[in-house]
Amino acid sequence: MTTALEHVMDAIDIETYIVCNDENEGKKLSLQLGQEMNLGEIDIMYQEFDGYGVRVRLRKYVYKPGNMYKYLNQEEKT
Amino acid sequence: MAKKILCVPFDPVHDVGIKIIKSELDKNGHQTELLSPDLTPEAIVKIAANGNYDFILVSRTLGYGVAEMLARFVDMLDAAGVREKSKIVIGGKPITPELAAELGFDKGFGEHSSLEELLAYIEGREVKLTGAGLNRTKKDITSKYDYSFNNQEIGQLLDSIATKLIDFTKNKKSPGIERAKIQEELFHTEDELKKTKLLEKYYALCDDVIVDGNTKRNFVKGVREVTETELKNLDSFLSKSQPVNPYKIQYNEKQPLLFKFLGSGCPIMDITHAKVCERYGIDGFLIINPSWEARYEGLLQGCLTHENDGTITSFENIKLVKQSLDESTLLTVRAHRGLNTPETVLLAGEAGADLAKINLVYGSLGAGTDPVRLAVDGVEAIKLAAKYNMPFDIPGNDELSGVPAWKTLAGLLINVMIGIKLGAKPILKPLFCYGPHIVINGMMKQNFIDYNAAKINALREIVNSPIWPGEPIAFMTQSEERVQSANSTSYHASLAASVGVDAITVASTDEAYSRGPICITSRIDSIRAISDAFRFIGDARFQTTTQADYYTDDLIKKITETLREVEAKDNLTAAIYDGCLGNKEDGAYPGKFGFGTVS
Repeated sequence: MTTALEHVMDAIDIETYIVCNDENEGKKLSLQLGQEMNLGEIDIMYQEFDGYGVRVRLRKYVYKPGNMYKYLNQEEKT
Repeated sequence: MAKKILCVPFDPVHDVGIKIIKSELDKNGHQTELLSPDLTPEAIVKIAANGNYDFILVSRTLGYGVAEMLARFVDMLDAAGVREKSKIVIGGKPITPELAAELGFDKGFGEHSSLEELLAYIEGREVKLTGAGLNRTKKDITSKYDYSFNNQEIGQLLDSIATKLIDFTKNKKSPGIERAKIQEELFHTEDELKKTKLLEKYYALCDDVIVDGNTKRNFVKGVREVTETELKNLDSFLSKSQPVNPYKIQYNEKQPLLFKFLGSGCPIMDITHAKVCERYGIDGFLIINPSWEARYEGLLQGCLTHENDGTITSFENIKLVKQSLDESTLLTVRAHRGLNTPETVLLAGEAGADLAKINLVYGSLGAGTDPVRLAVDGVEAIKLAAKYNMPFDIPGNDELSGVPAWKTLAGLLINVMIGIKLGAKPILKPLFCYGPHIVINGMMKQNFIDYNAAKINALREIVNSPIWPGEPIAFMTQSEERVQSANSTSYHASLAASVGVDAITVASTDEAYSRGPICITSRIDSIRAISDAFRFIGDARFQTTTQADYYTDDLIKKITETLREVEAKDNLTAAIYDGCLGNKEDGAYPGKFGFGTVS
């Protein structure tokens, strides 16, 4: 039985806006969000503070180049 | 005091960024020295060690393995004793302060750092922030216009149509007008007994749903009062905002002002979105009310939230939104749909709104109100707009029902003339859209530019009036895919800048998604796209094809024909009933709300 996560071609991006007091808090909350969503470590691709919060683009790589891409393994899928 | 700065393009190819920085530092009186981009790390370290620099400014775009290379480079500078006399600074697109510190730099500047931040650091001073305010003044969209008619025949036809309509509405009453008068008295009465009597009179003119809501706080499904705690929390959120330099969307002063819709249903969500959008440079907002509000006689009172589309236009809600916005931010309130048009304009005026949205024709043909009722209420509403010195914006959204553009534009012009005659300041809002009539007749088969530009050209050839395309621009060209949606909006925005209009209403990148409210990320994304589009077009212009000239002439000819037809009728309401400004074949039907309520 494969998971949906294994079928992600390479990465999941989370586009959101986090209310916070400054850039650092925004960064901390972004990383915490990744943990709370059980994504483990995530990258902050983009973060922009506007005074009320941060517009962020977060990324979780499911596969990086050279990994075993489980979605290609047809036998395991069945 | 001037600083000595070594500018290091630590990159074999890209040295544009550091050249720009060097030029700015020079302009600010600092002594800079720019190295060539092909030097080895060892050669750079030697120059840095032998010179007497206050700052070593390293520029580098990150890629695979570059972070490690930069860390090694910093180690080499340290080993050569450079840090003892110089601050080592990194700049580049993906650089964050955290990454710079991690790599061993004293400071880092990324793509979102401003030149002012860099200069402040170099000069050892605090960054000059404009504070929590937006550092801008409120714009009057109408100030440059005298509403003179260049097309004499159209001017004369409109004069006759408007005169006949105003005469038709004289001495006519509606529950909407009566309620507006009572509300006006309520605003200026301190006497509690008189207030109670006025409210009784008011409720006698309302539907039961509104009376129950206002007297028993028993609201329609999905509506509730905003609590004191929620209001306090909102206040706290707003007061805690950190000062940052706000963005500017327009690249030059001639580019149009940007408006966004507010109408999530909840005034608190609207305000939090609006405040973030203000920081991103949005110039104004339109409050959009729920469609059910238009069907009832009377308006709900109090600070109310609503689970579905549309924010209730109670006085308290409008006031809360208005008071939360920056003084420079414009606010318009949709008034022309339904049975509360004069009252909504009155509340908007009392709450300090800047504009009101009124279109007698569209409100009847595309928004469900009986033409006679809206004619009578609309004239009163325009008088109130004039009284409160609020320009009124006239959206041409009947085009989305399938009405041909010339009929919609004729309707807008009729509203303009009524406004002029009543001492108000009207604003034309033609659509920049891929409307049904345009699709069916192939007017945008070649491109999206010619026909939209032709609408503006035609209006300009007719009257000297402000023009504010909406509503929103790019309607029916956007999908639920955010990049497509952002692109489409920004292309239309750049066309608007190119044709030199005064303002535009813009959608968010999730505007086409109909199963939930608009999100703040989508609002920001469309603003960023437009900002880039404005930078891209600057003061250049799109070159229309000869087809645009044909469309312009054709629109003027057909607007004239439409107005002749309207003028031949007894009055505007008869023309609307007879389909002169949109008929069943077009997809437009005279509304029924309020039928038979005018006396």
